[in-house]
Amino acid sequence: MSQLNYAQVTVGDQLPPLAIDISAKLITATAIASRDYQDVHHDQDAARALGSPNIFMNILTTNGFVGRYVTDWTGALGVLKKVAIKLGAPNYPGDTMEMTGEVVAKNDQDQSIELKVIGKNAIGHHVVGDVVVALP
Amino acid sequence: MTRQNTDLTDDEIEELKVFEEQLQSFVGAEAGPFLSWDRVNRAMIRHWCEAMGDANPAYYDADVAVQLGAPAGAVVAPPTMMQAWTMTGFACQHPPGSDTRESMPVLPVFDQQGYLAVVATNCEQEYLQAICEGDDVNGRSTIESVSSRKTTGLGVGYFVTQLTEFRNQRDEVVGNMRFRILKYKPHSTAS
Repeated sequence: MSQLNYAQVTVGDQLPPLAIDISAKLITATAIASRDYQDVHHDQDAARALGSPNIFMNILTTNGFVGRYVTDWTGALGVLKKVAIKLGAPNYPGDTMEMTGEVVAKNDQDQSIELKVIGKNAIGHHVVGDVVVALP
Repeated sequence: MTRQNTDLTDDEIEELKVFEEQLQSFVGAEAGPFLSWDRVNRAMIRHWCEAMGDANPAYYDADVAVQLGAPAGAVVAPPTMMQAWTMTGFACQHPPGSDTRESMPVLPVFDQQGYLAVVATNCEQEYLQAICEGDDVNGRSTIESVSSRKTTGLGVGYFVTQLTEFRNQRDEVVGNMRFRILKYKPHSTAS
């Protein structure tokens, strides 16, 4: 894992895209790893009874993927200060979430950068996020 | 997008008014603390990282974590795991010592009125200091707002926004979260 420094970053920089294959296994495993036992994240019948065509990814996991996507890029010494996400199209099994990100601002006082992160699936935007990360 | 109340009879409008006044009475309601079942630990961090495909060495290598402010020998937890520590888990119960009330006290009121489905729509987390192996996290919540009745793609319901402040065993605020859910009747069953 290489380390990005604050001085190396320019507003407008694009993060390398990341594709996440969404499987029932991933949705269930990440829900349980985040201690979220809501049945819509592991039980297809329960999800259908509540009007959803299938189980879907929980928000804690989406949050985790947004954080991971940014620190994959910064390296281990990037310190997340904020992850603010809005969910849209659900992540259902069989889909792929394509993550992209862009640097939108730099703050010299605390060496933090602001990013816009988008996770898109076959239905539309699964997540739109604003992230702040401090760099060495 | 608010459903036109003209679809409803006078009695239904009156009933809705009483229900919505009841919902608004929960704004500002505080709950907590809600404790963690386990202190921040490598096993839960590893399970999370394994499922998320997160290979960040700060989460498993103490020599890296120390550069992020972790005590000697400790790893840091993924900041986005903040909420996971205080989750109730399989039995839907907070550990002993927690507030015994519902952490989002307005939810049972929705359930009684048939708004059974729930989906999270927004999560804004701020991280004020590293959460490290050995830390004991707790959360305290306040209902910030309950929206007017909305018709969404999923069904008819209400957005509830909750603020949670997370603290560690030294009573230092480690982060906070604004969490919004939609509590709704799916279209197929909406009355």
